[in-house]
Amino acid sequence: MSERRHDLEAQFDRILSEHGAAISRLAFGYETVTSVREELVQEIALAIWQALAQFRGECSERTFVYRIAHNRGLSHVWKRRPPHQPLEEIEESDQPIDPRPHPEEQAAQADRRTRLTSAIQSLPVIHRQMIVLMLEGLSQAQMAEVLGITENNVAVRLSRARNMLKDALGERP
Amino acid sequence: MIEDRELDAWREQWSSVAEPSADFQRDFQRKVQQRIKREERRFVLGNILTVIAFIAILIFAWYMRHQSTWMGTGWSTSVCVLVFVSAGVRMWVLRRTWRPETQSTRAFVELWYKRVEARIRLLRISTYLSIGWLIFCAALTAVDWSIIGQDVGDHPKAWVALLVVCVLMQAVLLCYGVAWLRRRKLAELNEVKQILDEMDGKSVR
Repeated sequence: MSERRHDLEAQFDRILSEHGAAISRLAFGYETVTSVREELVQEIALAIWQALAQFRGECSERTFVYRIAHNRGLSHVWKRRPPHQPLEEIEESDQPIDPRPHPEEQAAQADRRTRLTSAIQSLPVIHRQMIVLMLEGLSQAQMAEVLGITENNVAVRLSRARNMLKDALGERP
Repeated sequence: MIEDRELDAWREQWSSVAEPSADFQRDFQRKVQQRIKREERRFVLGNILTVIAFIAILIFAWYMRHQSTWMGTGWSTSVCVLVFVSAGVRMWVLRRTWRPETQSTRAFVELWYKRVEARIRLLRISTYLSIGWLIFCAALTAVDWSIIGQDVGDHPKAWVALLVVCVLMQAVLLCYGVAWLRRRKLAELNEVKQILDEMDGKSVR
């Protein structure tokens, strides 16, 4: 029993090391407030831990993690339902600017990053998932596996989601 | 291979959204481990408290069984049955052999929709059952008034008035609670339906 638990803990630590950054990024798609987002990331990690004992490798580990993260994110959106922060209201990034050379360039990068995350948060939830998975570098087949729709559907929705993101960023004439 | 500069630019910005340092990663893992331990402690404590509550209710029901009126016997028997059914349901739920979160988003949302629908149905059935239960209790009291009347002493009318007030208060609380819960569940159902529609490409908010 304890050996099984030890194995699970080792597997869980490895998953957090490998996918921790991706989980943190995915949470950006569902929550704007930093403290609540940290809470959401912890909830996702907890859900992965609770489901890990039943994971039999029916899908890849990455798909398993992304499914749990997105489904937790969806539940979180329903429970919280915060009004997203409109682009016009963004004054500055909440991330500190690195005090290394070229502060203007770094400030501009931080601003672009904030605009991108806010634009993503303004999308309908399914399109948000599409965009986040695309940005995480998943193939259309992997996206189809996470979302439970066909690859053709993924292609169509992804194209629509990209256009919506461009609209939200003001990049389309 | 077609170059997609727009996507590359977005990916570059996205990858810098969260670049946890080694310290951050360690701190995050420590917090998660603490949370897991906390949840496990809560789980164990919850089970211990449930067992204590079950035992206390059973002892109380056993004590009531030896009361002189037949209502005491009937009440204690039904409480015992209820406790064992609740214990069975709890153990069934605690098996945790399957977690919907590990399914695809579509399967998860469809299941979510069905669960909310089932809860609304359950709410409706519970309302009817509660109303039926109140009517049944009132009828039982009326039928056995000759026996109960002896137990309530010199002021049976005051006792009946108190009973009616209690029942009415319960009914008001029940109606308010059910209406609040139903409104909440309908809003949830609507939200989940919208997500499903988005997945089917029927509507976009």
